[in-house]
Amino acid sequence: MNILTMMWKNLRRGYQTLLFPARPKVTPRFRGLVLFDPSLCTGCAICRLRCTSRAIEFKAGKGEFTWSYNPGQCTFCGRCVEGCTEHALKEGRAEHALTQQQDTPPIYLVQGELKKSYTVARRPPAPKPAPSASPVAPVSRPAVLAASTPPGGDSQ
Amino acid sequence: MTLLTALARLLIFPGLLFAVPAAWFFLWLERKSVALMQERVGPPFMQPFYDFVKLLGKSTPPRSGVGGLLMRAWPLIAVSAAAGAVGLLPVLPSSGGFEGDLILLLALLELPSVCIIAAGFSSRSIFGEIGSAREAALSVSYNIVFLLAIVSIAASQHTFRLEALAALPSSPLLWLGVLAILVCLPAKLHINPFSLPNAEQEIYSGPLTEYAGPELAMWELSHGLEWVACTGLVATLIAPHIALAWGTSLLAGCIFVVLSVAVVLLLSVLAAATARLAIDSSVRFYWQCTLIFAVLAISSALFMRFRS
Repeated sequence: MNILTMMWKNLRRGYQTLLFPARPKVTPRFRGLVLFDPSLCTGCAICRLRCTSRAIEFKAGKGEFTWSYNPGQCTFCGRCVEGCTEHALKEGRAEHALTQQQDTPPIYLVQGELKKSYTVARRPPAPKPAPSASPVAPVSRPAVLAASTPPGGDSQ
Repeated sequence: MTLLTALARLLIFPGLLFAVPAAWFFLWLERKSVALMQERVGPPFMQPFYDFVKLLGKSTPPRSGVGGLLMRAWPLIAVSAAAGAVGLLPVLPSSGGFEGDLILLLALLELPSVCIIAAGFSSRSIFGEIGSAREAALSVSYNIVFLLAIVSIAASQHTFRLEALAALPSSPLLWLGVLAILVCLPAKLHINPFSLPNAEQEIYSGPLTEYAGPELAMWELSHGLEWVACTGLVATLIAPHIALAWGTSLLAGCIFVVLSVAVVLLLSVLAAATARLAIDSSVRFYWQCTLIFAVLAISSALFMRFRS
């Protein structure tokens, strides 16, 4: 008889499923897609080392580096975010991974399309602090050279 | 029954003009109520109609030879039989009929099931053959109870005329028979817990795996008409008592529809509350549990007949 009680409650509560693109509310500790802030990244590649599912790729070039993220391979463990000393990585609270396939249309976030690959210019080395220098040193912002979503998905 | 009355019953009420929209409505009602009980949205109201029209517009795979001809014929026979069964139901008072129409009704109700079995084997698909074998085993199991229940009601009244059966006085035997028929309906209509002939997660659509386009539309229609016929049979057996209790027989048609809807909802609750049984459990249920009640019903009916 428990099943009948449960079904009656379900009937009174109404349907709980949502039509796409409506989203259910997530809990405060929900881990969504990893969001990347190129202005904070120093290119240390700790995130790639900490990524156990190999979802993050890092290619170092001359005076620049390319940071790539494959949402289809990410397990949302959060290790990259924990290890990022510059807080360039964040866990999206409302952004779900819509698909596990790579050759699907790009993932769209609330604020627009998710950029899966960033090419960022390295920051110039910080000048050695002089004893007579002003206490507040000017912070150099890196230039984002390219940010793109590859049409066929990222390479493994 | 004159030819005009027979045509009116077959084509208008409770025949095709009523039964086809009712079939779509019952299919929608079953899917929607099960969905709501499972906290899902469920299909929109017109979905069975849209499915039917869409399937009509699709092309069928080319089939040749006698096997192909048979595969095209089975759904048409099933639809005709189910529509004929609905047309035979004595819904309106003094709507006519003939001696022995109960036997014709039972045959017509069984014909779609036989067609499904034959269609599965004709398709030469492994899933179709498994589905047909399951349907055959299930059919042998539930039909014993189903036929014994109806025959017990008929035997107690010395008639095989549907109109006479529909006007039976209320008796424990009648309600026992109705209960036995209700127990058989989930197996006859392939809903949980006896939905194993068309178990989607295991054997795709079972006997209908190889069907597409208008042929599949005909199968869907015959399934809907089976819903109308089976729930209508229960409704006609119960309806006179409620109509008499209300003191009028003018509402017979409305009461028939309301009772049919109530039976559909009852079966939907059962479908939502249960999981699919394996074939051995299903067969055991009908042969061991319900057969005892059916034998009791027919023996009491025969006893009553010899006493009177």
